[in-house]
Amino acid sequence: MEDNLKERPGPNISGGEVRIVRTTSTFDCGGRCPLRLHVKDNKIIRVEGDDFSEPGQLRTCLRCRAYRQMVHHPERLMYPQKRTGARGEGKFERISWDEAYDTLAGELIRVKETYGNRGIFLATGGGYLASLHNAGFAASRLLTQFGGFVTHYGNISSEGAVWASLVQYGSVMVGHSREDMLNSKLIILWGWDPARMISGTNTMYHLIKAKENGARIVAIDPRYHDTAATVADEWIPIFPGTDTAMMAAMANVMIRENLYDQAFLDKYTVGFDKFEQYVMGREDGVEKTPAWASEISGVDASTIERLARVYATTRPAALMDCQGPARSAMGEQYNRCAMTLCAMTGNVGRQGGSAGGGLMGIPVGHMFRMSAIPPGKNPFELDGPNVKGTLDIGIRVVKRVHINKIFDAILKGKEGGYPSDIKMMWSMCNNYLNQTGNSNKAARALKKLEFFAVNELFMTPQAKYADLVLPVTSAAERSDLTRPWPSGPYYTFVNRAIEPLGECKSDFDIISDLAERLGIKDFNPYSEDEWLRMFVEKNPETGPQITDYEKFKREGIHRVSLPEPIVAFREQIEDIENKPFLTPSGRIEIFSQRAANLNNPLCPPIPMYMSTPEDRKDSLFEKYPLQLLTPHPKNRVHSDLYKVEWLREVEPHRVWINPVDAEARGIRDGDEVYVFNGRGKVAITAWVTERIIPGVISIFEGAWYDPDENGIDRGGCANTLTKDAYSGGGAAVMNTCLVEVVKA
Amino acid sequence: MQIGFYFDQTRCTGCSACRVACKDWHDIPAGPENWMRVIYTEKGKFPDPSVSYMIAPCWHCTDPVCVPACPAGAIIKRKEDGIVFVDSDACLGNDECDEKCLKACPYNAPQFGPEKGAGMRKCNYCLDRFAEGKLPNCVEACPVRALDAGPLRELEDKYGKSREAEGFKYSQRTKPAVVIKPKERNRI
Repeated sequence: MEDNLKERPGPNISGGEVRIVRTTSTFDCGGRCPLRLHVKDNKIIRVEGDDFSEPGQLRTCLRCRAYRQMVHHPERLMYPQKRTGARGEGKFERISWDEAYDTLAGELIRVKETYGNRGIFLATGGGYLASLHNAGFAASRLLTQFGGFVTHYGNISSEGAVWASLVQYGSVMVGHSREDMLNSKLIILWGWDPARMISGTNTMYHLIKAKENGARIVAIDPRYHDTAATVADEWIPIFPGTDTAMMAAMANVMIRENLYDQAFLDKYTVGFDKFEQYVMGREDGVEKTPAWASEISGVDASTIERLARVYATTRPAALMDCQGPARSAMGEQYNRCAMTLCAMTGNVGRQGGSAGGGLMGIPVGHMFRMSAIPPGKNPFELDGPNVKGTLDIGIRVVKRVHINKIFDAILKGKEGGYPSDIKMMWSMCNNYLNQTGNSNKAARALKKLEFFAVNELFMTPQAKYADLVLPVTSAAERSDLTRPWPSGPYYTFVNRAIEPLGECKSDFDIISDLAERLGIKDFNPYSEDEWLRMFVEKNPETGPQITDYEKFKREGIHRVSLPEPIVAFREQIEDIENKPFLTPSGRIEIFSQRAANLNNPLCPPIPMYMSTPEDRKDSLFEKYPLQLLTPHPKNRVHSDLYKVEWLREVEPHRVWINPVDAEARGIRDGDEVYVFNGRGKVAITAWVTERIIPGVISIFEGAWYDPDENGIDRGGCANTLTKDAYSGGGAAVMNTCLVEVVKA
Repeated sequence: MQIGFYFDQTRCTGCSACRVACKDWHDIPAGPENWMRVIYTEKGKFPDPSVSYMIAPCWHCTDPVCVPACPAGAIIKRKEDGIVFVDSDACLGNDECDEKCLKACPYNAPQFGPEKGAGMRKCNYCLDRFAEGKLPNCVEACPVRALDAGPLRELEDKYGKSREAEGFKYSQRTKPAVVIKPKERNRI
């Protein structure tokens, strides 16, 4: 079987029929792009992109250009396996599906009978984003019918931005259609790098068009990233975690110089006076001046003043915050403060302006509104508090485990304040050992489990710790429905391009087979196509819009033409009396009574800069004097596609370090170095570059954890260094991390 | 007629979709053989660095020095469109001729696989696609539309005649078939 896969498809397309399959992928990648896969003899031999007429072509990035090398990778798992060596050692032997099902069903029954359903933990994830085969929903449904389970709450990416947007606007649909950037005169990229993280297909293209259209573009970021290098007129380097201080100081300048839009604030917001008191230091005696922010952020006071004036006096202006800076110890404050500046400058709800909030979603084709298999009500959570709409993360973790605490929960259980003592874990669509904080702790936790089963495409760092590995099909081997990430305006259809490779099965098939073994009747009564048709027809968005299911399927996409760009909160700004914001006050809540009611110093009612553990003022800074950033890689989707050689060779995995920091440590470009702190040590190659602020280093997340016998991670996994903690609003604190670097 | 490329350096983010699309279309394994390369240049000092990317396919030169350099006559410039391509059957392989084409080329366009005696291969302007009236795959792959291709004269009419850029020097000797919109330093 493996030999078969190693055979190169070859550019020779003569003989045998080549079919073109219109489809897309299901990665958690930032885009969603039509693909035309050339298929011959059950192999994808080439990939072409969208062939829609320009300028509307939705062009895929390098990742799906290499899609076939992932689908047909020789290291794809092709049959079920059970562990033969120690956990983490990676020794496995082939078993039959019968044995695999017997093992998993047997363990589910054993744990349920011995400890109750609370001993079962289900780990789902973003590794496959589509309607039907999104394993998390089907597995939740199965385990609900099996009597219940414990699972996690939140995602690693965006909780800070989600919390902030819900507080301020009562909505997560805070984005504009990307072409609206062409209406902007000034665009501030505050921690946003769409050249890498895509932020919706064609976003970078629209940003370039905006620049060509005359917009001035300023990038505020610890790194001079590729987006800044391409479009920015000015780069303002800043220390991680200090954005909120700089924003507060910009507000201070606008207030002192009377540059803000009082009429807008009066009409559309509540609580600006309280924010003003904070910014002017009327309560704590500390005025949030540019000099104050400069000392914290490393940005010159004069630069802060200048940017405040330019932003306040240029209309329309789009302040584009994102989610990366919000993956930090007080991350939601950054998004809240950005939204507050958007209101102070009167840019919310305006063409060419922005609402901030970091999520950039529009309400056409949003993933949140995608149909899915109904999981049902998990019996384990029935006696828990009502979490719907709550801003209190404490309530959310009564019955669930925060995503960045899964492994701590396994280690500490009920005694550690977690919902239960976890005895077994079943994992799918994720590689959390690699992708949540503190990978070494995760490895320890996985060794403690009584049983661990994984559905996977590859032998990932996490799968190595499993007792049972079930091989799943890729999106090329399934049909499904997907949504653009995070928004349209379009809907996409995944057409099965090839039949399942080896003995791979879709997660949904695995879960359905298992249901039968567990005596659950009629778990999956429909064919794949019946499900998909039903999802399209019954979805409140696609139902009325997609009237010809077969055509949608054939074309792989349904495009929605918008008469004008979508502008978040346009309705509210045009008619606030009849179309209030979805907050309790009906206004933009610069002061949030709901946040005040939490009575949690980490969740202040107004946006505030706060000192946190592992910031530059922490005493730990003496021992670990460098801040670590862990941005998205361009040549992987998180840890997906890690094995794909065409992508690996595009960019070697390296740590960015400024020459000042490198020279102080005797490090030269290309040297092998160790990056370490109290949580772990990674071996990685140094890239000495002027593109990062001194005092900060950067390792792209997603490289695979690979500890040697001394516990040094030879794979350079960023999360070997990061902390498994979350902020007041539930943000994973990936970018709040102190480290030191030495030459290896 | 002479075909050519247009490259808008001001748009290029260095993403390398062109490079991967090239490898996919021509089925080139990961490794040293890269018909399309992306050249990175970083200059200046913090906090004022400047960064640029320059693509590097074969420029299908008007006077390709690789053609006379080849001892086997395996490199051919087509009269009808100026595409420079390799006759793989005639190529002696790099052991035999010591990579004379690569040594002659100012742009390192000739490429060799890792195997002993590898034959030279390089960008062929996607001959198969060209025959069907399609653009080279790299051009269609560029997410920010920084590339174009077509008759050089038409590209000059559309985009001008600028041919210098960071990471690229126009060779008067070989006359590469390209027009470029060069990147100036962004900072104002």
